[in-house]
Amino acid sequence: MARRKFATLKSFLDYIGIEGDRTIFTWVSASEGERFANVIKGVTAKVQALGPAAKLVKKL
Amino acid sequence: MENIEKKLREEAKRLLEEKRVDALVGYEAGTLPLTATPCFITNSEEADRLVWNAFCTQNLAKYVHDLISQHRNAQKRVKPEDRKKKVVGVVARGCTTRSIVLHLQERQYGRDEVVIIGVPCTGYVDRKALTVALDGADIQEGSLAGDRITIQTASGEREIPVQDVLADNCRTCKFNNPIICDVMIGEKAPEMLGAAREYAEVEEFEKLSTEERWEYFTKEMSKCIRCYACRQACPSCYCPTCFVEQSQPQWVGLGEDATDTQVFQLMRLFHMVGRCVDCGSCVSVCPMGVDLRKFLKKLDKDAFDFFGNRAGASLEDPPPLSTFKEHDKEDFIYNP
Repeated sequence: MARRKFATLKSFLDYIGIEGDRTIFTWVSASEGERFANVIKGVTAKVQALGPAAKLVKKL
Repeated sequence: MENIEKKLREEAKRLLEEKRVDALVGYEAGTLPLTATPCFITNSEEADRLVWNAFCTQNLAKYVHDLISQHRNAQKRVKPEDRKKKVVGVVARGCTTRSIVLHLQERQYGRDEVVIIGVPCTGYVDRKALTVALDGADIQEGSLAGDRITIQTASGEREIPVQDVLADNCRTCKFNNPIICDVMIGEKAPEMLGAAREYAEVEEFEKLSTEERWEYFTKEMSKCIRCYACRQACPSCYCPTCFVEQSQPQWVGLGEDATDTQVFQLMRLFHMVGRCVDCGSCVSVCPMGVDLRKFLKKLDKDAFDFFGNRAGASLEDPPPLSTFKEHDKEDFIYNP
């Protein structure tokens, strides 16, 4: 069910113009140590490649 | 349609006389020409106020939900043995019955608490389109005969075919006959002419670039003044306390800051996944003319493509986000 929610969310955010790569989901457990580290490295790399977010950012 | 009005009034009289309903929600002629407004009647003498025509805009399922919820809240303070059941009757076209089916799927009330009088529908008139067609002239008098509207303005008489000013969601509606009903008035309506092109607008929008889509989104949402009329009119928005009004934690700011408004709309629209019946009430009540349907229709398309589900299409289907299938779409999951 979470899978369904996230599939729809990613599709919707991409539709309104938030770049598809900014929304990332994955299944990972805290006991999968090495894989957890790889996921974090991968996500950080992906997001850094996209640069700072300018959309939906509230300027206080 | 005149024939249907007559039969509708007879049926309403009968239901009220036989006390099968305590209150009946329908449409009556509005105070301005060429309008219809929701009405609530409680005895059979009032049944002649009911109308059914192309100006009946609102989705009445909202009122059904409101009446039943109010009644339940009032009954909470009454001893269980003294509690009375209240049955609400409603004049329901296709999208209204879809909303009622949605409410029943989400266990908002029991099937026995509502009596549905089904009516066939060939769409309602979009008032904003009508105003544009008349170049903003005041409607002094008007009448509807068959599929043409005759209007008297200060500068003379105009005749406009209903097809020209039909609401957008009505043009591509696939559900213009009641899904469930206790009584059906008249014959089933024919399929709407645009039904096959239902998602054409969404597909067009998907072809634009990311930046163009974002620009359209921000442009539309900059019109939003946070009046919440869309939320009040939507039958699927029935939470006693809306997420916007919560302050612990505060999910979204209340002010008119552009980002807050975008997030509010994003969140409200996202609550509609698998639940929006495309009745067009939100768009017709919006004072600023925000094009909400462009985004809502995308959610509708996704629910259909990913899960094969149309909101409120059948009483047996579970709501799509409350269940899962083994081979649901997984290609979006990141897997290093």
